[in-house]
Amino acid sequence: MPGSCETDVVLGAHLHARPAGQVVRAAARFSSDVEISFGGRTASARGILGLLALGATAGQTVTVRATGDDAPEALAAIVTALTTTP
Amino acid sequence: MTSTVSIVLVSHSALLVAGVRELLRQVAGEHVGINTAGGTEDGGLGTGYDLVRTAIDDADDALGVVVIPDLGSSVLTAKAVLDDEPREKVVLLDVPFVEGALAAAVIAATGADLDTVVAAAREAWDARKL
Repeated sequence: MPGSCETDVVLGAHLHARPAGQVVRAAARFSSDVEISFGGRTASARGILGLLALGATAGQTVTVRATGDDAPEALAAIVTALTTTP
Repeated sequence: MTSTVSIVLVSHSALLVAGVRELLRQVAGEHVGINTAGGTEDGGLGTGYDLVRTAIDDADDALGVVVIPDLGSSVLTAKAVLDDEPREKVVLLDVPFVEGALAAAVIAATGADLDTVVAAAREAWDARKL
């Protein structure tokens, strides 16, 4: 039974190209599916263009949800990518 | 470092491919193979058959190569090169130039296979900016 977990993250910087690239590369290390939701839209962490299209900017809160066998680890890695990439 | 699917950018402009490559490097990192063919052999605007062929031939094709042209003769030249000498695991992509290249490079950086990279690039058709 795959687990699922989610958390809210306040963005330290705009979710622009470089952080979005880091998110995709971090998500690829895990088997879990990771989605990021913002403003009523949800994007897969496997696609940079969808993440960019969320239009999330610094100070705004996004919701990260991971589903799968390594969901907690995947979630932690994505949160790190979202909060530490300038 | 294990190899990744490689990207070949083809444009009328050497400056344009250099700029897109710089962007891909920034976002996708240093490990994705990115070759470029921009402008003509004499440095002008246009596309050069031999430049395109060399860029494709020099790409690491262990996992495959996606060739992304900007428009017009870039497409025709890339198609001619691949028609004249078909290569295994080399795919000419009909995708938005910047968005498709970015999506391809980022997913390639994760070690994704050729089919996954091709699919990611084609998703650029559906990605709205606003």
